[in-house]
Amino acid sequence: MTRSLIWRVLAAPALVWLALFFLVATYAIVSVGMGNVTTLFEPVPHWNPLDWNVGYLKQALSDVAPGGQTWPVVVRTIAYVFVAMALSLVIGYPVAYYAARYAGRSRGIVLLLLVLPFWISYIMRMFAWTNLLAPDGYASKVLDALGIDTLMNKLGVMDGSDWLGGQPVTVVLALVYGYLPFFILPLYASLDRLDHRLIEASRDLGASPMQSFWRVVLPLSKSGILAGLVLIALPMFGDYFTQDLMSGSPDTSMIGNTINGYVQGGSEKSLGAALTLLLSIFLLVFMLGYLRSMRAEQREAAAA
Amino acid sequence: MNDASTGDEGEPRDGERPPAQHGVSRRGLLKAAGGLALGGVTAASLAGCEDTTTPVAAYGAAGGGGRGILGDPTAGGPVDASGIPLARRDYPVTLPRLGDPVKAGKPETGGELLIYNYADYLNPAVLKEFGRLYNVSVRVTTFETLDEAFSKLSTGGLKFDVIFSTPDQLSRLVGRKLIQPLNYDLIPNLRKNVWPEAAEPFYDVGPRYSVPYTVYTTGIGWRNDIVDYDPAKMIPVWDAMWAAEQYRGKVQLLNDYREAIGMGLMHSGSDDLNTERPVLINASVASLENLNRKVGVKVQISAYEALPAGQIVLGQVWSGDMLNAVISYLPKGLSPDTISYAYQEVGGPVFNDVITVASAATKPVLAHHFLNFILDNKISLQNFIGYTGYQPPLNGIDAALLLKQGLIPKGLQTALVTRDAYANGNAYLTLTTAGQRLWEDGWTRFQAG
Repeated sequence: MTRSLIWRVLAAPALVWLALFFLVATYAIVSVGMGNVTTLFEPVPHWNPLDWNVGYLKQALSDVAPGGQTWPVVVRTIAYVFVAMALSLVIGYPVAYYAARYAGRSRGIVLLLLVLPFWISYIMRMFAWTNLLAPDGYASKVLDALGIDTLMNKLGVMDGSDWLGGQPVTVVLALVYGYLPFFILPLYASLDRLDHRLIEASRDLGASPMQSFWRVVLPLSKSGILAGLVLIALPMFGDYFTQDLMSGSPDTSMIGNTINGYVQGGSEKSLGAALTLLLSIFLLVFMLGYLRSMRAEQREAAAA
Repeated sequence: MNDASTGDEGEPRDGERPPAQHGVSRRGLLKAAGGLALGGVTAASLAGCEDTTTPVAAYGAAGGGGRGILGDPTAGGPVDASGIPLARRDYPVTLPRLGDPVKAGKPETGGELLIYNYADYLNPAVLKEFGRLYNVSVRVTTFETLDEAFSKLSTGGLKFDVIFSTPDQLSRLVGRKLIQPLNYDLIPNLRKNVWPEAAEPFYDVGPRYSVPYTVYTTGIGWRNDIVDYDPAKMIPVWDAMWAAEQYRGKVQLLNDYREAIGMGLMHSGSDDLNTERPVLINASVASLENLNRKVGVKVQISAYEALPAGQIVLGQVWSGDMLNAVISYLPKGLSPDTISYAYQEVGGPVFNDVITVASAATKPVLAHHFLNFILDNKISLQNFIGYTGYQPPLNGIDAALLLKQGLIPKGLQTALVTRDAYANGNAYLTLTTAGQRLWEDGWTRFQAG
């Protein structure tokens, strides 16, 4: 009893802090999105819900609807994020699996390598790539020598040999590169907890290594995969500087760029806030889906 | 907005309105907006807003009551429906004077002089020199865009002494009382050193609030060692952008909605850079979309770095950036003569930036001294050639001499702004509220790809 009280007291400041800043910030966005703009283009938040003006929200809705002016951006963003998520899964799963099950003594080093990127800020790493991928950059030369450009051109995901010249492939790969560790770490944690005996049991019962992976390991790592995917999908949907740095072309602009464009300049800050609200609602649905499947899984586990 | 073809997109977005309200005329909405902001707006000033390319006479005169802008009888000039001054070369604006300028006296010493400016737009050596002279430390806070600067200033949370800006921002800054009228007795260098055209500008008759900082043109910059045609020979020069198909992905379009859409306008033969006609703006956006399909533009403003590095080989650039590229960003082994610049001599954008003193300044007299210091011939040359690449409009800066001394490469002679070009150039000026939205909407459409 007293112990739980102690923990409650200790956790309270951080919880209050998080809740307060989440709620205040969110309410500010709502108030700006439901507010107005002066003739000098300053947004005037409407703090009182009775004064809320839904004009901008309606505008934002019609913009992101099929045929609206932001519709192509919405489609592109969803496509990029889903491709990036699929690539993260394909690239990240083996790494997490290896680290959790086969790394043995080198596990520490593998984990260190996974955490290493966090030592340098995301933006700085992206900046480094803008130099490496510049036409005379080292990475560009290596990729060219290996024929990767040609391959990408053949696959139809790249046009020409300039990686920074508005290529969707660069933006997607940069997203994968940037967020991959966030996918691997929770997946690793989940795989690490996986009961080894279950795999042995499946083998004893005659499953081939492949079968036991498909029918035992993969289903058991579902929660880790989902957690990892949600963790990377949320920031990817709102990301704008990866696109800014890696392409800067209207052909690859994402919803984050549109919002950033509205918020950074001009008379449409309220529209930017309204779009932010829509994006948040979309992501909330995404999150709820994840939570529901988690809960279903927990129930199943409890039932078993 | 979704229905670009109807053209009538100028409705203000404030207030609750259904997204598709094409039946309402712009005039009607402007009237509504004007009524909100000022009360009695006359038909004459509304007529002016119908086509701001030829704004009406001074608000005071149009209003009939002799009242100037924002109630200052000594102020005047064309305004939009909500009272925002719309200065044009042919229609000068006297900004309302809010309060009295600071009295001459000893400059404040000690502590910090706080400056709000773009990044890399002041030579640190110059700031150090000023600090040494006046026994003060100078601190620069930077902003990315003027809009960001205005937003942050208008919250009242930021206190500066000196604010760098552009002429089209002055009406907003004055409207929010963010800058103070200047005591020009404290800035003798303005009359002594500055080109008369720039010292007596049409956007700030008097002048009352500003001194000019730098002059620049917008044009085409390119690597003449890579690009196999000569943009300087094209008429208009902007055609060089549309001709760059073979340099796909290495062409810069300025990340600035006025400049980008303005270029589309000039490309299609219009020279009204402040038009508010939806038809023209839509045509410009369409031509930019066509440009993007052809050459895959990079929307950025970093040509000063990207051009010498070869990340772009041609682009829409500001003249000062080309000089900056040569002064500060030339990689080893690349000759300064590889960078060329050309601009549209008749009707192309030529304009200047300004320096102002914040109304919240704690060291207003010292701030005036700083403005005067920046307009000193020697100091401004050091700022220009030694760092920023942006030319001050001073009589003492002898372009011919700089070329002769080799301080500016011959290929970039065109990046220097002549008095003549400045006096006759075109400029991006304040638009009406509705007009600005038209431009911004067009830009958003373009950026959505």
